[in-house]
Amino acid sequence: MKVLAIETSCDETSASVNIDGKRILSNIVHSQIDLHRAFGGVVPEIASREHIKRITVIIEKALEEAGTAKEEIDLVTVTKGPGLIGSLLVGVNAAKAFAFARGIPVVGVHHLAGHIYANGIDHELRFPLLALVVSGGHTELVLMKDHYRFEKIGETADDAVGEAYDKVARVLSLGYPGGPIIDRLAKEGEPTYPMPRITPADDYGFSYSGLKSHVINLIHKLESRHEKIRPADMAASFQKAAVAQLIDQSRKAFRDHDAKMFVVAGGVAANSHLRERVEETFRDTPHIMPAIDYCTDNAAMVGVAGYHRYRLFGEEEGMGMNGHSRLELV
Amino acid sequence: MRKSPLRLVIDTATDYLYVGLFAESSPLEEHHRKGQNDHSVHLMKKVEDVCASGGITPTDLDDIVVGVGPGSYTGVRIGVTVAKVLAWSLDKPLYTVSSLALMASGTEGLVLSNVDARRGNAFLGLYEVSAATMKTVETDRHTAFAAFIESLTAEPRTITVGRPDIRRLEKGGFLKRVENIHTVAPNYLRKTKAERQKACSA
Ligand SMILES: [Zn+2]
Repeated sequence: MKVLAIETSCDETSASVNIDGKRILSNIVHSQIDLHRAFGGVVPEIASREHIKRITVIIEKALEEAGTAKEEIDLVTVTKGPGLIGSLLVGVNAAKAFAFARGIPVVGVHHLAGHIYANGIDHELRFPLLALVVSGGHTELVLMKDHYRFEKIGETADDAVGEAYDKVARVLSLGYPGGPIIDRLAKEGEPTYPMPRITPADDYGFSYSGLKSHVINLIHKLESRHEKIRPADMAASFQKAAVAQLIDQSRKAFRDHDAKMFVVAGGVAANSHLRERVEETFRDTPHIMPAIDYCTDNAAMVGVAGYHRYRLFGEEEGMGMNGHSRLELV
Repeated sequence: MRKSPLRLVIDTATDYLYVGLFAESSPLEEHHRKGQNDHSVHLMKKVEDVCASGGITPTDLDDIVVGVGPGSYTGVRIGVTVAKVLAWSLDKPLYTVSSLALMASGTEGLVLSNVDARRGNAFLGLYEVSAATMKTVETDRHTAFAAFIESLTAEPRTITVGRPDIRRLEKGGFLKRVENIHTVAPNYLRKTKAERQKACSA
């Protein structure tokens, strides 16, 4: 089965073609980051306008690169939420129109299901599976007993880990987005600044506001004493503590739930220190981390998630499908 | 018997969702109903319905016409996305039309199409519509409604909703054939708020 996937939930216009939800033939991603940088963040109306301008070009490129004609596509799948509603509606309506024109089914998927299923690219998922979902908006542990059986067993009580990265980067005047910048800078430093070991209140939960405040207070204290701050060391210290919490909670949840496979999902899955720690912690158990291109928002992951959704549930909403700014992972 | 050309007409720039299937400029099936910010749910279902009622499949369509605004930004994007992707997927010609002209085309006389844009502003287009054709009197604009009305010498029939008359739109040259389908986008008539504020502060 050949699947066309579309992702427009935020500021990336993306389309991808895959075979049987596993082999990716193409994955075209048009990032709008340059358009939004001048505004210090994503402007929803600008994002929507850009999506509609690009949508057919991006789909055409994805088909071309896959060497696939429109007539060969058997299924269309699209992110239906959560995300920016104006952006989502472009993708959802494009997917429905393509499916109707070609007389094929259309299936909507949850954006986070997409991130988790990015691990199914070129790999067989094994259940029970534990997924660490980490991004600018999410920090949670999701247990899957089987395909499309998601159970959130823990989440952050306050900030998402990606949010904490952005905040620390801002206090150090390093720029936006903070994650990749801190990750790069941390490699040049040593974790010499003391960081608290945070124990989240919930068994498999997370907490990042305490660590974030600690870093901010430490920087202010050093500044008031006119001590020179070593940004690379600060980045390394923060990153080590931030990732340690992800690893500690993941290890505990993995053991307690007798999981058979560990996967990482979301933008922070691209973090090099997290990847090293996962390799070392789960060395003796099956584990997957998506290739870097599949960590950030992309349609390839949506295509894999949509293939499995269709295989299990069929078409569901069809032409009545809508986009949803908020949506539960089910 | 020669098969009459089949045309799908879509407009979602206002509160009303319009979907029509035409043969030789005469409506075969029409759907025209006030929505509740839910054009995204209903548009493709109605496209499916009018095609089914007309006994045709999408590949039978000869061309597609879409209202490109001005009007609700989110609303117009739904119709334009669908029309653009349908035309591209089917390799069929796409025509764009002003949503204000489309609205005016069904009413004869000096017709003012009025789409509320909040705070006393509106998207306005003034047209002279006769039995056979129509022409633009004042081009589509985003402006203060009261001041615009005062500036007029003749009193128009102001409408906020209307079905299209494809023959008049065609005769008056309002249907614009799209050359490169990838470039099709709504006619918002306004920059985004973020860009306007940036321009002020710059
Ligand atoms: Zn994402």
